[in-house]
Amino acid sequence: MVDQDKVEELLRQFTRLELMEIDTCSHCALCTEKCPAYHVSGNPLHAPGVRLSRVSRMVAKKLGLRARILGGGEVSEEDVRDLSESAFHCTLCGRCMESCPFGFDTHGLWVKIRSLVRELGGLPENLVRLDGLLGETMNPYGLEPDTRLDWSLFADMDEVPEMEEAEVAYFVGCTTAYKSANHNVAVAIASLLEAQGESWTVLGEEEWCCGAPSAMSGNLEEAKRFAQHNVEALNSLGVKRVVTGCAGCYRMLRFEYPALLGGDPGFTVEHITQYLARLLGEGRLELERGSERVIYHDPCELGRLGGVVEEPRAVLRALTGELLEFEEHGVDSKCCGGGGLLQSVDGEMRLKVVRERLEEAVEKGAEILVSSCPACKLAFTDGVREFGFELEVLNLSELVARRLGVLG
Amino acid sequence: MSFLDSALYPFFVQRMPYLTILVFAGGMFLRVQRWWQGAPNGHGGRRLHPVASLKYFLLDVVLFRKTFRRNKGDWLLVFAFHGSVGAILFGHMRGFHLWSASMLGFLGEGWVEFMVHTLPIYMGWILIVSSLLLLVRRVRLEGRQLESLADDYLALTLVLAAAVVGQGMRLFPAVGGQVGPVDVVFIPRLIVLHLESPPSYHWFHWHVFLTQLFVIYTPFSKFIHILTGALSPMFYGSRRRELGLG
Repeated sequence: MVDQDKVEELLRQFTRLELMEIDTCSHCALCTEKCPAYHVSGNPLHAPGVRLSRVSRMVAKKLGLRARILGGGEVSEEDVRDLSESAFHCTLCGRCMESCPFGFDTHGLWVKIRSLVRELGGLPENLVRLDGLLGETMNPYGLEPDTRLDWSLFADMDEVPEMEEAEVAYFVGCTTAYKSANHNVAVAIASLLEAQGESWTVLGEEEWCCGAPSAMSGNLEEAKRFAQHNVEALNSLGVKRVVTGCAGCYRMLRFEYPALLGGDPGFTVEHITQYLARLLGEGRLELERGSERVIYHDPCELGRLGGVVEEPRAVLRALTGELLEFEEHGVDSKCCGGGGLLQSVDGEMRLKVVRERLEEAVEKGAEILVSSCPACKLAFTDGVREFGFELEVLNLSELVARRLGVLG
Repeated sequence: MSFLDSALYPFFVQRMPYLTILVFAGGMFLRVQRWWQGAPNGHGGRRLHPVASLKYFLLDVVLFRKTFRRNKGDWLLVFAFHGSVGAILFGHMRGFHLWSASMLGFLGEGWVEFMVHTLPIYMGWILIVSSLLLLVRRVRLEGRQLESLADDYLALTLVLAAAVVGQGMRLFPAVGGQVGPVDVVFIPRLIVLHLESPPSYHWFHWHVFLTQLFVIYTPFSKFIHILTGALSPMFYGSRRRELGLG
């Protein structure tokens, strides 16, 4: 049984602007064609507009005029189940925001809806497990915190520094630290920082998940706890600048931490692509241009949701004379399928989304598919393996490190 | 004026406007109160950037830029619909003396005649056709790409009906009877419509009635986006500015 009072209370957790947006939505479906999840499933429940129609009905039932005069209508278990199906079959890529004529902050709305579903007991089973893993091991993979630096065994340096004080911190991120497909990304970034003579450090076991998986599963309190810990750890080392190679961590640290913690965390945040573009601009990095046909995939959290679009291209133009673009790129980039915890909820759907992107890359004649996000790399690597595409998948920092000879 | 028209006039023209204003104001109060039940807006202390807000309002709301980029056919349809509504509403403002034909005098007599008398008829047809096509589109996508509320159909049907009756008034003007300008007083000294000639009252009354229904229905329906649709693009513009996306 759904607790009807709780539904009403939870609906009041939408902000005033969000409640207004829910009422403003014209259910026009102009966002639907852009949705990667709907595009591969064709299931109306996965269409962003339908999701908002369902919430709109709930709001009308519980907070509308009729509810006030005659009492609220009932929200059934089926309503919650459908909303869960809708909310979690979404990559949180924010493409709907870019096609909504009203420019709703759909990313924020979907997270709020996930939070609502969670509180009403509709969280998908795998995400309940994810909660447990995050709580126990401070990472979404359930791996021991003391293995967080295992990637460093491959680094061509004496030791990855764990300083007591440093100007720069390299925030590795869980998907880079724990997924072997991304270990080279961490090695590349560490090697680049070392080669630049930066006063840098990693947090080691003190680095917890950035909180993105908790936020994406609708657990904003837990996300806040992770944010608090990481900020304290970084501040205790006197860090002034955080560099990360993960698009999700970048967005969390740069934009969500100040919102979650209600203030400036005390350091600036730079994505590795911004760092590299800056070095190039300052003449501190020289790259030899190759002739590989490289296509760049904009990670949603870095481009559309993070505003970093030009910097990776500036670096890539210095790396290759054959930079290709997807038809939909930059702010309009199509999701790789690796976002929004979709892998935990519907791995098959993730692979279908990945496949479309890989097919286009191959059609364009690309030899190397480059991204700047470990979740994208993981998705593309899985897709290449699953469907047998002839395509090398690399992170931009790997390509740079390889060109500089600091990565094998 | 026929017997029926004479019977309808006192209610539709002289009494209903008070009811319309009352229901609209009450409805808006209730709607705002409903939003006010939500949590305070948590935009993390982000500030609205006025230039970016205005830019995105003009490009995305007025010109439907995002729809244009996505699908030219859809853009043509939504722009034709909203553009014709806007043009017709603007034309009506002349009747309420908010502007006059003499302001367009610099265009020359022929153009003024076209703008004031011919263009509204074209706009009426565009509105009717685009409303119908939007209805067809909604039905076609229903259950596949969108899930309408009953209100979505009712709102569109109401616009279509008001447009059809309004167009009827233009196409079938009053014949014979009184000539010359006539003032239709909805609310004395506040809302007075100045017409160049008496309307065909049986079309006029139903047009007035449906238009007032439109106003009454606004706070309770998707028409609310006419009033609120500008706010989110303002935040959207500021967010883009914050992200450095211009």
